[in-house]
Amino acid sequence: MTVVPHELVAGVLSETPDLSVSLMPLRGRFSLRLMPEGTDPAGEVLGFRLPTRIGARQAAGSREVVCLGPDEWLVVCDDADRAVIEQGVATLAASVPHALVDLSDRELTVMVSGSRATELLTLGWPRDPQSVAVGTARRTVFDGVTVVIWRDGETQWRLDVWRSFAPHVLDLLLTGCRELAAG
Amino acid sequence: MSAFRVHGKGRVNHGRKVGFRFDGTPFEGLEGDTVASALLAHGVHLMGRSFKYHRPRGPVTAGSEEPNALIETRRGIDRSEGRVEPNTRATMAELREGLEAVSQNRWPSLGFDVGAVNDGFHKLLPAGFYYKTFMWPKSFWDKVYEPFIRAAAGLGRSPDAPDPDSYASRYLHTDVLVVGGGPAGLAAARAAAEAGLRVTLVDESSEIGGSLLSEPDVVIDGTPAWDWLAGEVAALAALGVKLMPRTTAIGYYHQNMIGLVERVTDHLAEPDPALPRERLWRVRARQVVLAQGALEKPLIFDGNDRPGVMLAGSAQTYLNRYGVRVGQTAVVVTSHDSAWSAAFDLAAVGTSIAAIVDTRAELREDLLGRAHALGIEVLRGHTVTGTAGRLRVSAITVNPVQSGAVGAGRNIACDCVLMSGGWTPTLHLFSHTQGKLEWDEEGKTFLPFETREDCQIAGAGRGLWGIEAALADGSAMGARAAEALGARVLARSHAVERDRTGSGVAKKELPTLKDLTSTRAFVDFQNDVTAKDLRLAVREGMRSIEHVKRYTTNGMATDQGKMSNINGLIIAADALGKPAPQVGLTTFRPPYTPTSFGALCGYHRGDHFDLTRKTPIDPWAEAQGAVFEPVGQWRRARYFPKPGEDMDTAVARECLTTRSAVGMFDASTLGKIEIVGPDAAAFLERMYTNPWSKLAPDRCRYGLLLGEDGFIRDDGVIARLAQDRFHVTTTTGGAARVLAMMEDYLQTEWPHLKVWLTSVTEQWATIALNGPKARALLEPFVEGLDLTPEAFPHMANGTCTVAGFPARLWRVSFTGELGFEINVPARHGRELWEILWQAGQAHGVCAYGTETMHVLRAEKGYIIVGQDTDGTVTPQDAGLGWAIGKAKPDFVGKRSLSRPDMLVESRKQLVGLLTEDHSKLEEGAQIVLDPSQPIPMKMVGHVTSSYHSQALGRPIALALVEGGFGRMGDLVHVPMEDRTLAARITGTVFLDPAGDRLKM
Amino acid sequence: MLLITCPYCQETLPEAEFVYAGEAHIARPEDPSQVSDEAWRDFLFIRTNPKGPHFERWRHLHGCGRFFNAVRDTVSDRFLTTYKAGEPKPDLATLTGEAK
Repeated sequence: MTVVPHELVAGVLSETPDLSVSLMPLRGRFSLRLMPEGTDPAGEVLGFRLPTRIGARQAAGSREVVCLGPDEWLVVCDDADRAVIEQGVATLAASVPHALVDLSDRELTVMVSGSRATELLTLGWPRDPQSVAVGTARRTVFDGVTVVIWRDGETQWRLDVWRSFAPHVLDLLLTGCRELAAG
Repeated sequence: MSAFRVHGKGRVNHGRKVGFRFDGTPFEGLEGDTVASALLAHGVHLMGRSFKYHRPRGPVTAGSEEPNALIETRRGIDRSEGRVEPNTRATMAELREGLEAVSQNRWPSLGFDVGAVNDGFHKLLPAGFYYKTFMWPKSFWDKVYEPFIRAAAGLGRSPDAPDPDSYASRYLHTDVLVVGGGPAGLAAARAAAEAGLRVTLVDESSEIGGSLLSEPDVVIDGTPAWDWLAGEVAALAALGVKLMPRTTAIGYYHQNMIGLVERVTDHLAEPDPALPRERLWRVRARQVVLAQGALEKPLIFDGNDRPGVMLAGSAQTYLNRYGVRVGQTAVVVTSHDSAWSAAFDLAAVGTSIAAIVDTRAELREDLLGRAHALGIEVLRGHTVTGTAGRLRVSAITVNPVQSGAVGAGRNIACDCVLMSGGWTPTLHLFSHTQGKLEWDEEGKTFLPFETREDCQIAGAGRGLWGIEAALADGSAMGARAAEALGARVLARSHAVERDRTGSGVAKKELPTLKDLTSTRAFVDFQNDVTAKDLRLAVREGMRSIEHVKRYTTNGMATDQGKMSNINGLIIAADALGKPAPQVGLTTFRPPYTPTSFGALCGYHRGDHFDLTRKTPIDPWAEAQGAVFEPVGQWRRARYFPKPGEDMDTAVARECLTTRSAVGMFDASTLGKIEIVGPDAAAFLERMYTNPWSKLAPDRCRYGLLLGEDGFIRDDGVIARLAQDRFHVTTTTGGAARVLAMMEDYLQTEWPHLKVWLTSVTEQWATIALNGPKARALLEPFVEGLDLTPEAFPHMANGTCTVAGFPARLWRVSFTGELGFEINVPARHGRELWEILWQAGQAHGVCAYGTETMHVLRAEKGYIIVGQDTDGTVTPQDAGLGWAIGKAKPDFVGKRSLSRPDMLVESRKQLVGLLTEDHSKLEEGAQIVLDPSQPIPMKMVGHVTSSYHSQALGRPIALALVEGGFGRMGDLVHVPMEDRTLAARITGTVFLDPAGDRLKM
Repeated sequence: MLLITCPYCQETLPEAEFVYAGEAHIARPEDPSQVSDEAWRDFLFIRTNPKGPHFERWRHLHGCGRFFNAVRDTVSDRFLTTYKAGEPKPDLATLTGEAK
């Protein structure tokens, strides 16, 4: 039995020709909150148009953003880019009421890919995977845990999980890998 | 060997023998057999004993509705105790090499059972006898009745070892779910799949095909049935239909959510250990087609439960699907045409049909002609008045009925009786939808009428008869489902030759000459309910069918009344003198067939039973040998014992070290909420009791949160990081609740406030350093902040680096000692902890856990929300009136604090307690004022916290006591089991009331 | 498990993503200090608990995080409609008429 690493070190946790599960290295991550009228100026600072449909994504270089709620965005970036984003958004302060909170250490990211990746997610995901189009993402629930699920390709998924929930989520995913490999 | 196997017949593999054991005796069956069919092939009908009377019983059906042939099986290669499965239906248990099957409800053996004496006393065990018999004398209940009932009751035996197998679950989203893989279901799936929809077809059997598996002689569109079936299944697979045999639809829930249980490994001799035994599917279908077919009803006559008596359609299935003749000489007893074809099929393979006994006087000419040609005697307008035989039927008594009068009987020797009382649609899943039924007077049965769900019913499930009709209806319903989803498809029809259509009449119990009280005509075979019991229930005043059901237990066994409900209704209606539709049917509830707990638990057992959250520092604590305790979803280190220490000595040492040197505590589990925006302070003003506007951006303040009812909900220290940014802490268990409550007020009461809330509980690891040497330990690592008492006083906060890690550093204390809380990004938590731990050795540092934290805070009278409060405690009750911003016009809960009952002096108030004899009180112990008052005493409060205080050298306690603030110095009493303890009421601050130690 | 339409996400999703949050359209008084004891008691504790259409609040907790309002028939467990917080109470006669 694969044991979920207590220390949560990034790397491949399970791999077969049709399915792989990996823990990704930490990236920069911010919660950005603002009123609708702030989306344009904030987008200018960040370098892309902030999407306003829930689940829609935008990317520019190594930065990407997803709209999680009517006034909520999740910004993912390289670690080194964090200070740049913080300074940039800080210039908004006077004109655009907003909140930028660093969450780079709150969550871990699990990558699930391969031709059976979507099937693996059905072990704990009540939602229809087909309702999440390629290139979008959603905050949703997986095995009772709040996660943000990104669909990067037809069979390529990313799950952002709060640090302390990650072992529980990984345990089910790795149990599922063994189950799928058996038949 | 297999005397009753018909060579070359059936879908079993005659070339593959499978060895198994039944009650220790080795048997051989064939691949494709069930336990029941394999035993019947050896002429074994006796497979179990009944529940109440321990009567010998054999299989009466060939499917999942089987009430009698319940056996215990042992699964897997090791057949260990944890893999014992009681109450397996032998008719569903697929044979596999090495299977071990054991009969149930008998002692010492199946052939001779002591419990069968109950049968001799059946007149003493009428309906409702539990209610009547065991009422008196009262003292007999414990000693006599209950042990007797316990010994006699229950089906099978529960295994007493944990189940070593694993169970799985999946979610599935499909456009059309078809339940049932018979002709109607196949046609429905085909139509929907051709419309381009995602289609799933499930069937509880090991093979898709339903009634076609028992009807090899039928020809569909010019092709023999089984060839047509193979082609159709292949066509469905090619169209992308998800085909799921061995999968039972157990329940139909709201909005087309269907629960399925797939049996994954039970049929395998050596399953891959990585495979789950069963898998629960939660299916959401946009349209459901129920094509579950119909169930055959037994006829109700004296001795209808003797082994060898079975349903005619089931005998036909044993022959055509499994290649097994159920006997040498059969008598067919029927009120429906369908049993005639069973007789003809059996006759064709050499079973002697001694007679076809039909209750009807008028019979179809073609059936009579065929019987005549085969030389079968036909007795029309007859009844059955009894059967004979001890462990197997040996004869049947049939009598003519003329103008309602039963004539003289005649015995016919036989070794099996094939009965049919007609068919009733399988209504269970439809009924789960709260669907309405309508009474079909002609068929004397209920048919599905209308349901709120997006659901179609096809084929025999809505009273249609014959394969051609089922195919046409299935196709039409599949097309209708597709149309409802906006897809277009043409329904097909199929030409079917040698189809067997027919009709019949529904009967109450068959007429008899005997005194009714001496007959044993079973309606519910599994719960041993007879027609007589049902009539007795009505005579004794049961008017509602629900009462009749509960009084007699008819339909309450694990088969959910699949065979008994309609017969029970017809008899009860007759006894009540009412038409059946006015009496109505009892409710069918999920699951359709017995379901294992494993399937319902799925992955959530063992380590995966529930979430266990761990902090970044947890691995260090584990390596140090910490003892953990659960707090909310978290596991927290409770204490860190050194070799040879128990909890009390470890905690005493941790307390002493922290008060005299320095202690380290992992506070990472505290809830943390970052509150940001121009209205952040205004929002906190409204949420918390305390004032916030004037708090400086480098300061912290204790915050108290109430519910709108005025009672304490949560508390924690709040740091103002900037004019528009606060870092709020909550209790460990309250984090999610507090954030939800704040979001609720923000979104729905004050949406105009420009402020946002973000959980940062897991962004930060939090290390608390407490004790007189805390500053000395910390100071060398801090850059960017002056930690001197003047520059960084109690309740200061600042941003700095600690050992090079970015940190939010607070000077706060939950121990009464000089204290710091260091928040660093979670990834650095463990490393910083180890750096401080190493450096702390020179200062005599200890790590302490939650138990020591509880003692240290209690010595200072700091409350723990949820321990010293219970949802009925106001700030004033807890002595926290000082935390209320008196000048604030409003905050959540403020208005409730002036409700009349909040102001009375007799409210329970939080006080300290010191026992006179230095005994430690029990938390939760009740408090009385006068220990000599008569029992029941008036209780005036209870102990909320109690510890031995190392610092004071004596036990201390906190308690909620009525009017406690007015009783300072009074003596109260705590009655315990063996003695009554006297304790004096004090203030809640036991140590350093001036707070000098905080200010070091 | 019910299906619930989130008026913010504009998607119909499994109940597992949502939490129930009590009866809807019970507004906190603007100035609670001006409210009588009786009126405050009613605000705190008195709920309609109807058999039939019920105005209630839900939150898309594992989703956009928004609280929203719904009308659910407590007999059939069907949602008649869902709408954003702050939007006016829909007309019940129109809703139940539509449902028929």
